Parts: sequence; C-alpha cells; structure tokens
Amino acid sequence: MRPKHQPNDPSPPRDLRYGCGGSEHTVHRRLFLEGSFAAGAASLASFSGLFSIPAVAEETKRAGKKCILLWLCGAPSQFEMWDPKPGTETGGPFAAINTNLPGVQVSSLMPKCATIMDKLAVVRSMSTKPSEHFQGIDALTRGDAPRPPFVRPILGSVVAEQLGQLDSPVPQFILLDPCPEGNEFKAFKAGNWAGWLGAQYGPVRAGGDYGIANLEKSAAISDLDHSDREALRSFFTKKFANDQRSEAADNYNAAYQRVKGLMSCAPLFDLNKLPVADRERYGGGAFAQHALQARHLIENGSTFVMVANGMPWDNHVFQHEMHQMLVPELDNVLFQLVSDLEDRGLLEETLVIAMGEFGRTPWLNEARGRDHYPKAWSMAMAGGGVKGGVVHGATDSQGYEVVDGKADNRNLFATIFAALGIDPHQEYELPGLPTFHRVEEDAAPIKEVLL
Amino acid sequence: MNDTEAKNDQNKAVKLTRTDQTKVPMGVLDGSVSADWQQCALACLDGVYLLNAKDKQHQRLYQHDSWVSSVHWVAEDLIVSAGYDGAIQWFNPQTKQPIDRLKLHQFWSWDMALSPDRTVLASVTGQYLAGGYKYEPQSESEPSVCLVSVKDRKVLHRLSQTPSVQAVAFSPDGRFVAAGNLMGTVRVFEVASGKLAREFNTADFTSWGIIKSHCYLGGIFALRFTPDGQHLLLAGMGPMRDPMAGNGKQRWQKWKWDQAEPQRVDQIHDKEFGEGLMEALAIDSAGDRFLMAGRLRGGNWNAALFEGATGNQLTTLKTGYRVTQAAFSDDGKRLALFGAQGQGKRNKEGEHPHFGRIEFYDA
Repeated sequence: MRPKHQPNDPSPPRDLRYGCGGSEHTVHRRLFLEGSFAAGAASLASFSGLFSIPAVAEETKRAGKKCILLWLCGAPSQFEMWDPKPGTETGGPFAAINTNLPGVQVSSLMPKCATIMDKLAVVRSMSTKPSEHFQGIDALTRGDAPRPPFVRPILGSVVAEQLGQLDSPVPQFILLDPCPEGNEFKAFKAGNWAGWLGAQYGPVRAGGDYGIANLEKSAAISDLDHSDREALRSFFTKKFANDQRSEAADNYNAAYQRVKGLMSCAPLFDLNKLPVADRERYGGGAFAQHALQARHLIENGSTFVMVANGMPWDNHVFQHEMHQMLVPELDNVLFQLVSDLEDRGLLEETLVIAMGEFGRTPWLNEARGRDHYPKAWSMAMAGGGVKGGVVHGATDSQGYEVVDGKADNRNLFATIFAALGIDPHQEYELPGLPTFHRVEEDAAPIKEVLL
Repeated sequence: MNDTEAKNDQNKAVKLTRTDQTKVPMGVLDGSVSADWQQCALACLDGVYLLNAKDKQHQRLYQHDSWVSSVHWVAEDLIVSAGYDGAIQWFNPQTKQPIDRLKLHQFWSWDMALSPDRTVLASVTGQYLAGGYKYEPQSESEPSVCLVSVKDRKVLHRLSQTPSVQAVAFSPDGRFVAAGNLMGTVRVFEVASGKLAREFNTADFTSWGIIKSHCYLGGIFALRFTPDGQHLLLAGMGPMRDPMAGNGKQRWQKWKWDQAEPQRVDQIHDKEFGEGLMEALAIDSAGDRFLMAGRLRGGNWNAALFEGATGNQLTTLKTGYRVTQAAFSDDGKRLALFGAQGQGKRNKEGEHPHFGRIEFYDA
C-alpha cells in the first residue's frame, strides 16, 4: 500500500530557520519515515529503486532542493529554440548552430546555451493534449487535467509544501510577474493555485508594479511596542486556536505570518539592491531582471520561484519578429542562471526549468506566425537532480510528430518530482475527497534525464 | 466640368480588375517586375524565383542561407536580393549564374531598396533586443542602414538608426534615402555624403503590449517618397493593447519631411480602415494614386487604392492572402501584388500546398 501524504500536516516540526539575507542555508530535518515503507511498493517498476531507499538517504536526496521555473507563458516555438529544422519548408528563417554536445544543434538564437548544453537536459519529445492556453497552463503547471470541483495544487505549491520551510520568513513560493494582464494567464492567475494544499502554500507575487506594499515598519511604533503587540497577537491567536478550530483563522494566521516574514525580507524584493554588474549581465528586460531576482531569492531561502512576464510567447502574429527578441533574452538568462548557480555551488540542489504550456505549429499561418501545437514540442531543465548533456526524444524531419521518447505532462511532473526527491506517486490524504496522487496513473519519469 | 471634377469622376470609376494570378511553392516576401512586365523576380522563403508572367512557369534560381526578404529586377541580366542571412546576392537571370555575394549585416536584412537610377542599394537591419525593464530597444550593435554600390558591390556608407529598422526607400531624385524603425522613427540621409538630413518620429505605428506582454512591436513596415519628393508615405498598423493580436488599425500617414520641423499632413481617413498589418506601399509614377496593402485581420479589405492628393479611398480589394509587396507599371495602368497565404498542413504525400501568391490587375 502506498503511504499517504497529509497536506497541512504541521508535524514533524520544521525546526530549522533560514537567515533572511544571510548565507546560512540549512536543511530541514523532516524525515519522511513513510518513505521507508515505499520499498515494497511494486508500482514504480519503471524506475525501481528511486524511492525504495532508507529514509535518511531519502532525506539526503531532497535536502535543500529548490526550483526556479522560467515560465514561458504563451508557448514558445520549439523550432526557434531546442529543435531547429533548418533547410526544411517549416524550419523558419533562423539557422541552427552546433553546441558543445557533439551532433546536437539548437537555434542560432541560442548561442550562449549552445555552450552549456552539457549542463542542460532538453526534452524534444513533449506531447500533450490541451491545445488552448488555459487548459495547457493548467496541465503544465499542475501536472494534470482538471477534475472539478477538486483543485490540484500547482507545482510551486507542492514543492513549497514538500521541501519548504513553513516557518521561514522568506516566502517559499514566489511568483515574479510584472504583467497584470496576460489573457488566459491572467484568468489562471486569478484562480486557486495551492488547491487542496491550502492557502499557505500559494505564491507571494512580486515584480513590476507588484511591489509588496506596507512592508515598512511604522516609525511611530518602537521596536519594543512592536514586539509587545506581536506577543499579544500571538497569545490571542493561540487561545482562539485552542478554543475553536477554524480553517479561516488558520488561513488568516498563515497570511499574517507571511506578511510578518515579508517585512523582514523586503530588501530581497528590491531589484535596485541587486549588484549593478549582475543586473547588466542578465539583461535589461523585466524577465531577465526577475530571473536574477529569482536566483537571489533562492540563495536566501526561498524554495520555488516562478518567473513569468505575462504571456509573451503566443506569437500567432509576428512569430519571428518576437522570437528574435524573446529567445536571445531567454538564452542569456538561462546561461547566466545556470552558470551563477554552478559558480555558487547551488546547481546540484537547484532545479531550473524552462518551459511553456505547449509548442507551436510546424506550418506557418497567413500572418507568418505559428499557432498552438501540443503534439510535439520541447522544454529544458538543468541542475537539481537532472543530468546535464542529455537530449531526450526526437521529432520527425519537419517537427510534426514525436518519433522517439514521447513524454506527456504526467511524465514530466514525475521527472520533476523525482529530481527534487519528492515521491511522484504518493497519494494525497484528502478525507472525504476522491483518491489523488501527485502524479496519476503511475506515469513514469523520464529516467534518461535523472541523475 | 473643371479638371478637378473630371478627376473626381475618373477616380470614382477606378476599379482594380484582376487579370491573372498564379501560385508558387513558398510564401513570397517581395517581388520585382521586369521592365517589359513579362517576368518577375520573387523573394520567397526558400529562395529567389523567376516567374514568367505569360505562361506562369516558375523556377527557383538560387537560395540564400535563410528566407529572402527583398529582390530587385535591376536589368535583364541582373537580379539583386537580400535575405534573413544578412547577405546581398547578385545573380544573372539570363545565364542563370551567380555573380557575387556580400555579407552585409550580422542580423537579417529587413528590407532593401534600389535607387531610381539603379546604381545604389540600401539595406536595413537591426535586431530588437531588450534594453530596459520595459523592453526599450537596445542601441544598435552594427550600423542599421547600409548603402551599397550596385556595380562595384562595395559598401558606400554604414549609417546609424535604432533597431529594428524595417523599411527603406530612396527619393525619386536618388539624393535621399529614408529608413523607418520599430519605434516609429524615420531618418532621412543624404545618399552622397551619408549625412543625416532629417529625423522625425510618429508613435502611431508602435505598440507596447499591455495584454499579453510588456514589449514593443509594430513600427513602420513600408515607406515611400511621393513622386515630387516632398512627402513620405508611411505604412504599418496602429497600436494595439495586445501586440500579438494583429488587430491594430490599417494605417498610412503622409509626412512633409523636407522642412526644418517635419509635419504629418494626412493619414488614413476615418471609417476607411479595418484591422491588420500594412506592409506594402506603391505609388504610381504620376503620384495620382497610391496603394497600401497587407494582411486582413478585421474589416473589408487588405489592399486599397487611395487618391494621392486627397488621401481619399478609391477602391478596395480583399485578396484572401497577405500582401507583402505591390508595384505599379510605369504607365500606372497595371498593378502587381505579391504575398502568401497560410502554409497549411502537409498532405498525405507529405507535401505542403503552394502558398505563395502573385496577382496582376488592371488599374
């Protein structure tokens, strides 16, 4: 029997603290003793052994793992990035260039990533079902199709819940997105991100005009007064919790604790506090600046940072005019991020993911744009449990079909969870709800890309 | 009836009657008709084609390393093309032999113009890269405007403009060259000296995305001097909240450029536009009429003929494909349109339908 996982379970204690802005990066000691029971589970034959190890080893694998998701919303073109088809009728105007992996080429718009392909794992064989943005975003951020009225938590919420420090002053799940709109992504952003895990695992949003307001402590209140007020509030909170268990109160307190933590972390959200040289190196655009900020937040105790910039990749019109700008920015961001994390000794514990919700059509529409294409597309990962120098899967000569190594959203999420040391197939314990697993149907991870 | 009334009556009777049409395998980004109007050179996604206008036979003459963006029929024995590979190529269509290739830009050539005396080429380039938090364009990494001698195949001037520079044209007397960019800035240079003669800006063609993205898109996609040389016509698309929607207003503007403070003197009239990117401009040699064309996103037309003096719309077309280039014959009686439909999925045999389009009209 698969061990069940209880969301919102505060025990065992998460007793280590992150120093906000400090260099001390500790690991929480939550031992998933239930992991030891997984040894007998038979349903993971496709990657047997990954989770049949002793709990301590299990904990070692997941210790300190973090994740940065470069969310390429709108769906980028695989042809102009990871799976170029130069010289074909559908290949587009950009050439392909060699990389530091013999025999592997990427688009000429990605000269920097071409030099670090030995650190990247590229999946060229994503094949998913949703062909519209909202459904695609849902499937590629939650890992599965919706099953109303139940709301599956988004990847960042799961990772924050599994790997994060609930009592850390630094938010464990942060969304950096300066664009208040975003079409379908706007609607998605307005939805329930944490799902059945609960509001405390939802993201803190920052970026652009999404500065976090009221983080400055009022000058009219002394530190002593502030401390007294906090003690009083804490007393009444505990009393209320003892007298009357309330989900609303729990959520309110979670929000309060979050704001309290944010007040102590305000400098982490100030782009102007980042070194000028770093800011220049990442590039001037909002996406690049927030990718740098993501690195900074991860270094300082956050567990999952999702970087987005509205929905810029949906290039039905101006496909190549837009990709000639967007892809070089991503190329540089990915290069800088992976290089920085490696230089800081953080790459092994930080999984970097760059993907959108699907790919683009091989054929051009009348506007010389590319439309939605979930049937065969690409994404990339690096670090944190993922093997570098791997190109998994392949498409046919014009990019119409996956011809090798087909993987869907479930396979991808199983891969991401496995890389982060999270059991992909664990069942959620949701009293009164149907049975849900982190990844349904025992979908196998893409073992070729896992360390 | 005075002359003006007679002209008005004449204009009311203007019709564009299609006389011929043909397809080629790949989309056509530019086209140039021979002096006798019997042959066309086509800049297609997969190379430069020669089209016989009479029997509609086409053949691919040569290729660039990427898409071909511009082509000019310079003489019976000379075609010159520019491409997304940043190169210019010289080719003899009679011998079917290449003459020369000049790698001009690091990035692609967006557009290339030929001077009226057919001695100078102007090619414009520039990659739009994020320069600031709101995606203000970076300054150029190479000069964005290049003037090249047709005969010597040497660079005459490399001139500065902010990328991306998407449209270029020579004045009728060949003394000036104008280049328009993403941000709606037009720079006019003296051809002989390379000196900047004028600069002006219009914000009416450029979008900064609000809905899907925060970045710039659009800009000036075509420009032409009027035959008197005093005005510049600009074409593109009006701003959109969602730059990727392609639903900005079909737009032309007319600027009096040759004065100390250039001024906009006219623009597409109210109720005469729909939605879509306009990327082709053609003016007849007398300046009586001009045609603007491009892609239809919403509305009733994607090619329209306007009166040169008043800017009034004379007649419209709904071609069913995106028009990328237009050209009048010297006598103004004939019109050629070039463009592309959607590529479409490949068929059972694994082939894509032909999606390049060429049409001829009696104007």
